[in-house]
This record gives sequence, C-alpha cells and structure tokens, in this order.
Amino acid sequence: MNKFIKSLGLVSTIALLAACNNDDGATDNDTGDNEEGVTNENGGNVNLAVWGSSPAETNAMEETISSFEEETGIEVELEIIQDNFQDAMTARFAANNAPDVFYLEAFAAPMFMESGVLENLSGEIDDVDDFFDPLIDVFRSGEDELYAVPKDYSTLALYVNEDILEAAGYSVEDIPRDWDDLLAFADELQDNLEDDQAAMLFDQSLARHYSAFINNGLDPAGEEGRADFTSNPEVIDYFQSIIDGKEAGYMQNPQIDMGIDSAGAAFGANKAAMMMEGNWVISALNQEYSDLNYAVVESPTINGEEQSMTFSVGYAVSKDSENRDEAISFINYMTNAGLKQWSELSGTLPPRGSIADEMNLLDNPVLAPHVAAADYGTVWSSGESLPIVSAAFDNYFQAAINGDMTVEEALQAAEDEANAELDRR
Amino acid sequence: MRKKRKNNIQGLIFMAPAALAAIVFIVVPIAYAFFMMFFNINLLSGTRTFIGFDNFGKIISDPRFWAALRNTTTYVVVVVPIQTAIALIMAALLNSKIKFNRVFLTVMFIPTLTSSSAMTLIFMWLFNNNGLIVNQIEQLTGIRTQFLTNPDLALSVIMIMNIFSTVPHFMVVFLSGLQDIPTNLYEASSIDGASKIRQFFHVTIPQLMPILFYVVTMGVVGTFQIFDQAFILSGGTGGPQNATLTFTLYIYQLAFTSNDMGRASAMSFILGVIIFTFTAIINKVMKADEMNG
Repeated sequence: MNKFIKSLGLVSTIALLAACNNDDGATDNDTGDNEEGVTNENGGNVNLAVWGSSPAETNAMEETISSFEEETGIEVELEIIQDNFQDAMTARFAANNAPDVFYLEAFAAPMFMESGVLENLSGEIDDVDDFFDPLIDVFRSGEDELYAVPKDYSTLALYVNEDILEAAGYSVEDIPRDWDDLLAFADELQDNLEDDQAAMLFDQSLARHYSAFINNGLDPAGEEGRADFTSNPEVIDYFQSIIDGKEAGYMQNPQIDMGIDSAGAAFGANKAAMMMEGNWVISALNQEYSDLNYAVVESPTINGEEQSMTFSVGYAVSKDSENRDEAISFINYMTNAGLKQWSELSGTLPPRGSIADEMNLLDNPVLAPHVAAADYGTVWSSGESLPIVSAAFDNYFQAAINGDMTVEEALQAAEDEANAELDRR
Repeated sequence: MRKKRKNNIQGLIFMAPAALAAIVFIVVPIAYAFFMMFFNINLLSGTRTFIGFDNFGKIISDPRFWAALRNTTTYVVVVVPIQTAIALIMAALLNSKIKFNRVFLTVMFIPTLTSSSAMTLIFMWLFNNNGLIVNQIEQLTGIRTQFLTNPDLALSVIMIMNIFSTVPHFMVVFLSGLQDIPTNLYEASSIDGASKIRQFFHVTIPQLMPILFYVVTMGVVGTFQIFDQAFILSGGTGGPQNATLTFTLYIYQLAFTSNDMGRASAMSFILGVIIFTFTAIINKVMKADEMNG
C-alpha cells in the first residue's frame, strides 16, 4: 500500500512536470526545430513556419508546397506551430533562429518591420498592383519598402440564421444596412425569439471594432507612442449602443453570456439569429451544422459609410535568411501561380483581384460580402503601439459592459493605461 | 585518503549529467536574465542599451505591477492555507478505515491529472453567465451573480479551480506521510486517554511537519507562478480591469506585448526575490531546518 501511494505520488510529480513543460509548448518547439535548422545547410532548401489553424489549412499548405517543389526543385521544410504563433516567432528571432519564411499577421507587422529584422521584398514580387490595396499596404513602410506579401485575408460580414428569422416572422430582406437601424431591428426581433436565443452576438475586443474608430476619423494607435481613444466623442455613441444592446439583452457575448465556445457554435446551434464574423466560420458552419440555413450580408454601415474589419496575413522573409532567393521564389509562387490552388484547398480568400475573379467569388452568395469588404475594410493593423493599445482597451471595455464605468470613463482609463505603458517603453 | 578522493570522483561523475543539465537550463538563463535586467532590449532585433536600474523604477511606477502584486498575494494567501487544510483533512479521512478508500483515492486524483488548460475551459463553462453555477445560485437565492466578468470575483474562480486541481496531489503526499507514522505512537497516546481529535493535533500533525513544510513551500511557489489559468480566462489581457493580472502574466505582457525583455527580466528577478523571501519566512516559522536534521 505504502509503496503504491509513493509511486502514485511520483507519477503525479512527473505528470505535473510534464504539464509544466506543455505550458510553454512554443519554446519546446523551438528547441526541437533548432536541429532541423542546423541540418539545413546544403542550400536550396527553405524553412517555412506557419500557424496550424486547422487540419484543412495544413493539408492545403502541404499540397501547394508539393506543387511548388515539383515546379522548382526547391525543397520546403514545413514547420507547423499550433498556438501563439506570433509570440513563438518573436522568441525565434530573439534566439537568432528565425525560419526563412514565416506568416506575419498585419497586427504584429509594424513591430517586426521597425525592428529591421525583415528582408525588403520591394521589386522582387511579380504583379504587385493585382493585390487588393489595403491588404498589401499594411506591409509597406515607405516608397520602396515592402516587407511581406499577403497570402489570404478574412473580413467581417453579417451572418443571418434564416430559420430563426422566418420563425419570428421576418426575412433577410428586412435586415437594415445601417448600424443604428440594425440594433433597433435586433431589439424588435429579440421579443419574438425563444428565451435561450439571442438576436445578435457580439465580441467586445478592439479587433472587431477598430473600424468604428477609423470611421469616425480617429486612429487610436496611429500616432507613434501615443494612444487616443477619446479625442472624438462620436465614438462614444457607437460603444454606448453596444452596451445598451447588451443591457437590453438583444446583444450577447457567446462565451460570457451563453457559455458557448465561439460565436460560430452558438449561431450553428440555433442560439443566435445574427452574428458579425469572419469567413473563417464558413467551413465549420457547413461541416458541423449542415442543416443550418443561413445567409451572409455585408457588415452594417456606420455614419452612412461602408465598414468592416479585415485580417490580413502575409509571408515575410527574415533578414538573416541564408536562402533568400529560394525564399522569394517560394513567396512568388504561393502568392501568384500557386495562389488559386492554396485558396481553393484551404477555403481562404485570395488577396489578388485577378484570382478572385477567376474563382468567381463574387457569384458565391456566402463569400461575395466578404470579398466586397476587401476594398473598404479597415485592416487590423496600425502603428507599432497597437498591441499595447488594444490590450488596454480589452482590459477596460469590460468595465463599461459591467456598468462599473461609463463608456467615456472606460475609454479614458484605457487611454491612460496605454499611454503610461508607452511612456515607460 | 586515496579512497576518499576516489569517492569524490565517483560522486562527481554521478552528478555530472544532472549538474550539466542544471547549468545549461537553469544557471545560465538566470545569469543571462540577471544581465538583461539592466538593459533596454528589443527582443526582435536584439539591440540593447544600458539603462542601469531604470527598469526597476519603471516597474515600481506601473500601477499594473501593484495590481499584479495585490492579485498574486491575495491568491497565495487564500489558496495555500485552504488547499493545505483540505488536502490534510481528506488524507486523514482516507487513511482511516473507511470502505472503498482506494476508489475514492482514484476518483479524487483525476483533477490533478487533467491539464490546467482543459480545467480552465471547464470552469469557464461552469461559471459563465448562463452556466450551471450562476443558474443554481439564482435558483437558490434569487440573485444573479456574474463571475467571469466581475473584477471582484474573476480571480476567485481561478482560486477555486486551483484548489480543486492541486488538493489531490498534496493529499497523496500527506497520505504517504500519514502511513509512515508508527502505530505505536497512537497506541501509547490512546492508553494515556487521548481522544481521536487530540491524537490528530498532538501526534499526527507534529509527525507530519516535514511533509507539511514541503506542501506549504510547493504551494507557495506554485501559486506565485500562476499563469495559464489567468491567461486563458482573460484571453491574455489580465482583465477585467486588471483583476486577473498575475505576476507571471505581467511578465509575459512586458516581454511580448510591450516587446521589452529588459523590464520582463527585472520583473522576473523581483518575483524570484519575493518567492525566496516567502520561502525563507516559512522555513523560519516552521523550523524546517531543525526537523529535517
């Protein structure tokens, strides 16, 4: 008995240690890949680090890579990082062990570009004008400086559950385009729904609402070293409308108010009539909730202007790359000749207008609103200070939702915290 | 003399692999962090400028440091005594001759084996505004409480979760200690007329002191380093209103959100000093040196 207990204790200690190691899986990956990087000295090979967002994307990546390898004879070593991708990349650069090519989110791009660790790709990429301007412009930092090339993008659009809407006596045509009218509609709709259904889902992070600031002519992280949430009081009306909706109950947060993992899951399970989400939900909606009847329309207009959020991800080459030329030819293939294959297999949207036309995306009723938003959407990226600014916003906006602070107070507190942190830097 | 030297060499050889691992993975990183905390470092490009003790000044003047200090200290002060007491009581119960104690032991050990990330997601599901706990409380009392978004309660969810998942581990440690206590001590005390409760306080607890010291120390070290639960619950922000900002989450934010490795190293050093101080105090209070010989 005694021995059993002791060995149980030992096993648990080992399990705990193992659990501790799992916590920083990203750094574990690094040491593992270290060796791979070292053996890759014979030249002509490209190390590629990507974020493994889904098995479908991973498969698509592997297949597109094989097409590239057949075409050029250059070998690509693919390395998939599951979680906190951008942090893992930061750590790799700190350890002087950066991959040749890696995904770069527009959100983190300014930090990487200003640190001078990226290879300038200006003049190396074919047919640059074909990309949707907002998607590629976030990776430029001057006339002749281009540090990443978009691989795909997502935009927000309004998803509507047609079954719920019909049961409540409405149709998709009844949904107004203007934000304020949409909220009034949601309020009205809520009265005709079941108790456990929400008229509209919302996400309170800044990433979903940055365009509302931009729409009012205010870029919270636009000025270097300063955060600004408050200089335009009109923004307050917009955020107040979210709080009003949450209090009245017609806007709900899927995780906090409903206890459902994600907006897509709540929508798919017929718990919500409308949600504003990116095209990343489509594959889950089609596969896991195949009975669902839904329609997609463009994001609501604010102040009469079209707006949406765009999330752009590109390929970047690290400055220390020993396989610069191979890396660039890989990027050229993936964002041009191989782009259609990648987009079709992964289900992502191609950042090139010509490929979007070739794939007839505007004829696809589900994708068309997303593609249309590529032109006018606000890309989730700004100055180098955006990570600090957005962390401060996410920290304090909850207080406004709780009713502990007014919107004005919360925005002021977030601005003060972000500015204090920027001063310390 | 020669034999002694031979023994020494033998000992060194046996220690070498572990010592090497400790030097490479523990001593060198600590030394490097010690060096980095006097610099302003851009993690990405690796450029650094010497700024002396400025990093410490910046940390002290940061309200988020004080929020992290308050949260983490509250966390330690609440969690460690409760988890130690519950673990001890459960171990004592299991050690008595109740039926099916092996079954209880197995079932109760499961939370420790569950990964803390999975545990956090389960607790977030239990405590969400439409979740089991909130609805039960509303049914019983008529009051609707919010846990995850309420700055006063968000941390307590993490506390409950931590107690739930660490108690079984410490319970097993206590249980092995209990089974090492010689039965003749209990016989002698019962002949002297001691009740079960007096036996517990005057035989069991003094005999368990070395184990108790281990449990409290590991509890303090573990709770000061709380990270993953707070990270998942707040999505990495430490919100709402810095209510779940712990020391390690603060360090993470300094390194990866503010891209300031120097300040993150300085903060790690401060955390190290705090843990060291707490452990030293526990050592003094519990007289660990004497009882361990």
